Formats: sequence, C-alpha cells, structure tokens
Amino acid sequence: MLHNTKCECGHQNPVGTVLCESCGKPLDDEFGTAPLEMRYDGIARRSQRENPALIDRVWRFFSSVKVAIILIFLTLCASIMGTIYPQENTFLNVDPSVYYEATYGFSGKLYYLLGLSDTYGSWWYKLLLIMIGSSLIICSLDRVLPLYRALSKQQIRKHMSFLVRQRVVYQGQLPATGITAVSFIDGLVPLLKKRGYRVHSDGTALLAEKHRFSRWGPYINHIGLIIFLLAVLMRGLPGWSMDQYTGFLEGVPTQIENTPYYLENEKFTVEYYTEEELPEEFRGQGRAVPKLFQTKAILYECTADCSSDKPDLKQVHQQNIEVNKPLKYKDLLAYQFDFRQTIQIRAVNVSLTDKMSNQTYGPFELNTITPDETYVEGPYVLTLKDYYPEFALNDKGVPFTNSKSPLAPAFIFVIQGPGLAEDGEVFIYFPRDVDKQRFSQDKLNAGIVDKIDIGVGSMQDVSISRFTSYLNIRTDRALPYIFFGGIIFMIGVIMGIYWQHRRIWIRIDDENEITIGAHTSKNWFGIRKELSVILGKAGIVVEPKQLENGVKQA
Amino acid sequence: MSLEQWSENALLLAFILYNISFIVYVIAIAGKKWSNRDPIVHVRRWGRVAVTMTVIGLASQITYFITRWLAAGHVPTSNMFEFMTFLSMAIVAAFIILFWIYRLSALGLFAMPVSIILISYAAVFPKEVQPLIPALKSYWLYIHVTTAALGESFFAIGFAAGLMYLLRTIDYTSKTKESRKDSRGIEFTLYAIIVVIGFVLVSNGFKSTDYSAEFTQEVQQKDEQSGQLVPVTKTTVYTLPAFVQPANSKVVHMDSFLGMDQPLLSAPSWMKGIDSGKKLNTVIWSLLSGLILYWILRLIVRRPLGAIIQKTMGGIDADDLDEISYRAIAIGYPIFALGALIFAMIWAHEAWGRFWGWDPKETWALITFLFYTVYLHLRLSRGWQGNKSSWLSVLGFIVVMFTLIGVNLIVAGLHSYAGV
Ligand code: HEM
Repeated sequence: MLHNTKCECGHQNPVGTVLCESCGKPLDDEFGTAPLEMRYDGIARRSQRENPALIDRVWRFFSSVKVAIILIFLTLCASIMGTIYPQENTFLNVDPSVYYEATYGFSGKLYYLLGLSDTYGSWWYKLLLIMIGSSLIICSLDRVLPLYRALSKQQIRKHMSFLVRQRVVYQGQLPATGITAVSFIDGLVPLLKKRGYRVHSDGTALLAEKHRFSRWGPYINHIGLIIFLLAVLMRGLPGWSMDQYTGFLEGVPTQIENTPYYLENEKFTVEYYTEEELPEEFRGQGRAVPKLFQTKAILYECTADCSSDKPDLKQVHQQNIEVNKPLKYKDLLAYQFDFRQTIQIRAVNVSLTDKMSNQTYGPFELNTITPDETYVEGPYVLTLKDYYPEFALNDKGVPFTNSKSPLAPAFIFVIQGPGLAEDGEVFIYFPRDVDKQRFSQDKLNAGIVDKIDIGVGSMQDVSISRFTSYLNIRTDRALPYIFFGGIIFMIGVIMGIYWQHRRIWIRIDDENEITIGAHTSKNWFGIRKELSVILGKAGIVVEPKQLENGVKQA
Repeated sequence: MSLEQWSENALLLAFILYNISFIVYVIAIAGKKWSNRDPIVHVRRWGRVAVTMTVIGLASQITYFITRWLAAGHVPTSNMFEFMTFLSMAIVAAFIILFWIYRLSALGLFAMPVSIILISYAAVFPKEVQPLIPALKSYWLYIHVTTAALGESFFAIGFAAGLMYLLRTIDYTSKTKESRKDSRGIEFTLYAIIVVIGFVLVSNGFKSTDYSAEFTQEVQQKDEQSGQLVPVTKTTVYTLPAFVQPANSKVVHMDSFLGMDQPLLSAPSWMKGIDSGKKLNTVIWSLLSGLILYWILRLIVRRPLGAIIQKTMGGIDADDLDEISYRAIAIGYPIFALGALIFAMIWAHEAWGRFWGWDPKETWALITFLFYTVYLHLRLSRGWQGNKSSWLSVLGFIVVMFTLIGVNLIVAGLHSYAGV
C-alpha cells in the first residue's frame, strides 16, 4: 500500500505520521473536531510500521505501553502473592517442603508447590523484571529520537486545524482598532519572555515554548530504572555480593570465610537503659532494653600461611561497630547483628611449681583456642599430648570433647624434667576450678601431683571472653550502581513531573482574526491560568476556564 | 506545665480546630443554597474562614510535633501513635498546598475528615514517649519515614479529590449497569471509611471503661542457651470483648460484656502467635461496628449515602476535581518514591546491611509504588481520565492504608515466627 504522505504545506512526512511534522495539519482525520492526540507530536515511530517482520513484532510488543502496564501490574500481583506467607529466606534451617504444609495446612502446601514460597527468587519473577527492562529500553528508543526530531524542527505558523484542535484554544479579534497584527504580536513577546518562554515569531505568527527539557524526564527516569535493574542482575555474578553471619568470640581473630580477612572482636560492650530512662509502662518488669551494643573490631589481612593455625596477620583497619554504624573497609562491610553472652576462658597464664624445691617457673600462656605443642620452662619440657576444649567422659570412661568451644578446656601434658620419669609423666590440667572438682584433677594426676603443680596465681592471669558478637558480613559491589540508578530515576521523575513543557501558538489571519492554541505536557489548569493572565495584560479578557476547548467563550 | 503536656494540649487543640473547620467547610459548601445570599460570595467568605481555621490547626499541630520532639529527644515518628499523627499533619499540609494552587476550598470537605479520622485512629495507640532500640537510632530512618508519609499525604489528597469527583459525577437516577456499579463502589468505599470510624469509636470506648480479658497460650520456643525446644507461656490482654480467643489458648479472666463472659470462638490454628487472635478479634469488631453505623445512617437518610453527599456538591467543577486528584498524585509520586523506596534502601543498608529484604512492609511499599506507576502510565499514555482514573486514586489510597495498617494487622499475623 502506498500512502501519499506529502502534506499540503509541501513537507514530506515519513509513513505513519499523524500530524504533519512541519505545519501540524492532521493527516489522517482532516475534518475531525475532537482535540488532537498530541503525544510525541504525532510523529511516526518504528513500532507503527506496516507489514512488520518478526523483529518489528518483538519491537512493537515491547514498545507498547499497554504491554508495559500489564507487565508492571503482573509484577505488582506477584509481589502481593509473595507477602501472603513468610518467604523461605526468612528461616534458617527449615525444610520448606515440610514447613509450609505443617504450618498452614493445604493452602501452605499449595503455596509451596506453586513456588510462591520463594516468589522473589523465582525464575518467573526475574523474567518479569527482565521483560520490564527490555520494554523500558525498547519503548524509550522507539520514542525518544522521533520526539527529539519533532521538537527540534518546529514551524512557527501552524495549520489552522492544528490550533483549534488543541485542548487550550482561543479565537477572537484584536482587542482594539488601530492595533496591527504585527504590533500585537510584538507586544506579546516581552509578556511571554517574562514568564520564561522562548519566543519565535514571524510577524503575524508566534511560537512560545518553555521547559522543553521536562519532556526528557520520562526517558531519563527510565534510563535510571534500566541502570537499577542491570545492577540488580549483576548481584548474581560471582564475587559481586556476599552475605554471611559469623560469630566473633572476644579476643580471637577469626577468619571471614572466602576472604583473606580476619576480624578480631577486641571488646564487646552492651549497655541497657536504666530504670529511670524507661517510660513508666516499661518499668518494674525487669525488661532489659538495650541502649547500645558495640564491637571494638580490628581487621587483619592474612599475608602468609593463611590456611594454617597460625597465619601471618597484618592489621589493616580498626573501628567500633554499632547498629547503624558498620565497619567499612574496601568492599567489605560488617554490621552489628546480634550478640550472645558466652563466658569462656580464652587463655590462662600459668606457672609450673616444683613442689620438692618450691621453685616456680613461668608464667607462660596456655591458649585455649590454638594451644602450642610444647612449652619449655626452666628445666622442664611440657609436651601437649592432647587437648579437649570441652572435656567430657563417655560411659566407658574415655575422654572426648563435646565441641570446639573452650567451655571446659582440659590440657593433657607429658612433662619431662628433674625428678620425673625418663620419658615423662602425664599431667592433666583443667583451668576452671569447677572442672578441677568435677573430674577430680588431683586423682587423675595421682603420683605426679606430689612433685609438680600447674596453676594460676590470681584471676588476673585468666583472660576471659565474655561475649560472642555476631556480625553480618557483606559485600555488595553493585550497590553504587543501584543507588546511581535510583538517583537518575529521581532526577528524571522530578524533571518530568515538577516542570511541564508548555507551548503556545498564535497566528493572526486577515489582519484581525486571532487564533491561539496551547499545549502542555501536564497541568492544564496551570497553562490556562497563565495564558489568561498573559492575554489579560495584552488587553484580551478571558477567564481561564473559557480557554478550555469545548467551553463556550463568553 | 511540662513540655509533654504542652505538646498533648497542642495536639488536642489542633484536633478541635480541624473538626470545627470541617463543619465550616460543610456550611460553606452546603449553605450556598440557603436563601437570600449570593452563592459565590457565600462560598468565598465561609471558605476563607474554614481555611484559616485549618491553617491555625496546622500551626497548632506543628507546635505539638516540635514540642514532642524536644521532650522525647528524637523525631516523634517512631510508633503508631506518632506516625499516624504525623501523617495526619502532612495531609493537612498537602491539602493547604493544593488549596493554594487551585483555590478550591470544597476540597477540605473530604481532606479534613481523612486527617481527623487518622488522628482519632492514632489515639487508640499508647501515647507515651518510648525509648528507642538501637536499630531505630538513625537519622536515615526519620528521613525515610517522614518523606514517605509526605508522599502518602499527597496520595490522600488525590484520594479525597478522586472520591469527590466520583460523588459529583455519579448519576443516581440512571439505571445503567455502569452507574449501579459506581454507586455500589462508592457505598463500599464509604463503608470502609465508616469501619475505621467504628474501630476508633469502639477502641476508645472500651479503653475508657477499662475493659480487659486475658489469655495464655503455650508455645514451644527454642532456648537461647541449650538450643532445645522448651514450652513457654505467653499472655495477651484484650481491650475489646473477645468474640475470638487466640488459637489453643486458655482464658485467664474475662470481663463480662452484655452477658458474654466467654469467647464465642477460637482463632484458627494457622494463625500463629498469641497476638494474631487479638488482631482477628479487633478486625471483627471493626467490621461489625462499621456495619451497624452504616445501617443506622442509611435508615436515617433512606437512600445511598453517596446520593445524600452528592446533593451538597452541585456547582463544583468535576474536571477541576479530576485535575486536582491527578496533580496531587503526580506531586506525591516522586516524594513517595524517594522516601519509601530510596531512603528506605539507604536506611536498611545502614541498619541491617541489606538494602532490600522483601520484608512484607517493604514489599508493600513497592506494591504501592507500582500501583501509582500503573496509574501514571494509564493516565499519561492511555488517556485514562475522569471516572476510571478517580477509581484508581481511591484504590491507590486503600493500598497505602493497607501498607500502613493492614500489613501490621493481617500479614504480620501470619508472619509471627513463633516456635519455629
Ligand atoms: C517499573 C517500571 C516503570 C516505572 C517506575 C516508570 C515510571 C514512569 C513515570 C514516573 C512516568 C511519568 C514521567 C513523567 O510524566 O515525567 C513514566 C512515563 C512513561 N513511561 Fe514509564 N515507567 C516504568 C516502566 C515503563 C515501561 C516498561 C514502559 C514501556 C512501554 C514505559 C513507558 C512510559 C511512557 C511511554 C511514558 C509516558 C511518556 C510521556 O509522557 O511522553 N514505562 N514512566
């Protein structure tokens, strides 16, 4: 099919054009009276090609706002579904295939089977986001260039039917006899300029335009959204995001998994509100409302021997971590998450006493996390034969450890030295007095206990870890891009919504007949009022409401 | 007088002024048909009085806000009472801004009740200044909450104007399917508003009689130290007579209400947590009292409530209402996006180390945002105006309210991770 797309003004328009690119004459419904559809100024867009090929069909699909609205609406509905029951990621150590049915019965089972228990991580939710992203890219490309073209080559004198079919229209005569068309137009120019319009005139016709940039608002905000969505997708790449919870016992540098970093919780502090600080309804209930918890943290980087018990650590950073005040070092973030009181002996400074000569050797440190193999004190050599962090005996009387935490540490030494057997004698040492009693240390050490003793001088020699601080260790390298996208989005939205692209066309025919059409991207109330004020100053009194197309002019 | 008392009195004064100004708006709009007066002069004169009272009320509420801030030492938006009063204040401010643009005092006829109802709703919650747990001590939280509320307040004005548009344009004489659907929709919306009023009346009513009923529930809870499940007894106190007791609970005591001294029903067992029974009971009370109020009103006026309101609204330009509704939403949209999503992400990032966690409240903020995104696209690109767009503005505000209240009341009930 061949269209004659040449307008009567002589301009050759591309196929699909609705309003002549030059003079604005409606091309396909020349004799209508309804207000014109002014979106994109009636230009042709790729999505409106006839006889589309497959690629054009895809293009057309994604550039359609109707499809976009359906996609956004589907995402909205899917998001609602995901809030009905708690999502899987809110639990630790729960088997979802059992949990939902056990807790919510049949509807829970259905919820799980439909995949709604992990809505936001599901492939179809991601697919929806990807489709919105594609739609954003294609719809913007489809519109922005043609719109740019249309707005950059506007004619001043528009076709009559273009003007009278705007939503804001005025038709009348020059206000007083004696005024010429040219002087009337000239008189309007400063009035329009004062209100921020850029004015172009050709004697008896005028085009005033302001805030054209606001037309780019939607495209800029969509670009922001595209950046945002891309950044969200990038988080799925390996190394881009990490999220783990680790407990840090006071005074023990602990490796952050999959990183060369070690973090030491040097000291943990928790403060509670005092009774006086609490409001009345909270008082006297023995309720402990925490006011502050803080981890005094030191971050180390491992430089050598990283997989061994005794890695070489270099301090790289030091910071106090509080809720809302995470530790930040390069990409690494550590947030205060939780804490637990875990009273444990971290190390003891013991001395060895030769009971026969009453000589004391030491003190030397016994570390309960990574104890040394041998200790040489004076003439004595202690070899650590066995170490049980949480000592216990099974029903056959064989020792074993309950856990790796030093809750009831027991050191089993072989001691060699003066007055002892040639290849050494066994000595079992419990740092905690309770354990000493419970497992009868003296009885176990029968024989050697008369010659040798190991012990601490005072409580000062015992280092205790009182708390384990749980930190949430994170890396999110996409974060800057996510916020960047968010900022671009905001800029675009604000440009597009708080400013409006306004245009006023005026032409005077037969030296007397004024025709005015005006268009704004939003806020018709505003442009009617503005035009009414401007016309009033030029001697034409017209109520804002009368400027609305279809409202009778008095 | 202490600062806290000052603050409370200022709020009370604001509340009284809002109510009086509402009455003056009614006089301004409904009174223009009274005899021997020029309707335009009448509306202008009384409208000015009403707006002046609103502005004084707003000043008084701002005084409340600042004095409470000083007394508490933190921005008073950290519990339900404080948040709701803040929202109501923002709504009045948004109304004043739109009045300033459009000079339509009739908007107050619907904007003021929204604010008034929210303040009364706030009064149901404990008013005491509370200490903050560490997670809440971040100025990003305040920025997030206040900006989001500001955005929502414009949506509230969009709702008020949209509802007015519908009331103004519905044809009650027509028997077509569309007008019937519209009129039923309007009645339902009005009923929903009355439900909130019912809730407020019932809650404050029983609060003043000190009604109480107490229940205990045994749940298995993981012990912090041993990691084993141990039975724990939880207690809840109802302040409304219990139609429904929490699932698997025992009655400790229950004041008698109209001879009812035992709960009628027990909450279904999938409602976890002792508080979900209480919430269900509250919902039942609200729906019921709303229904009773609604029918009393219907019996008095003997026609749909929408029809009686419509009578007062002659002469207001429907297109203006449509435009105001859209404009309010357009103004609110960027503010809401900034406050409820972007600032929320910054805060969540600072406080919890994750910028987004799909927590129900967060997700509902996103849903609200998506809803208004759909609204804007339909309006800008598909030309939805007038009736359809007004319905969306009404629906949108219901989504907002669900995010603020419903999520706590309903969704969170399912999310009480008790005994996992
Ligand atoms: C969640 C995703 C989206 C958001 C948050 C969003 C946001 C917005 C906003 C706020 C506006 C109004 C801007 C203004 O008036 O200045 C707008 C306009 C628009 N959007 Fe989107 N949008 C989204 C997705 C899409 C998609 C997928 C399409 C693809 C067809 C699309 C097409 C448009 C169009 C055509 C306009 C109107 C532009 C005009 O007025 O000329 N949007 N969008």
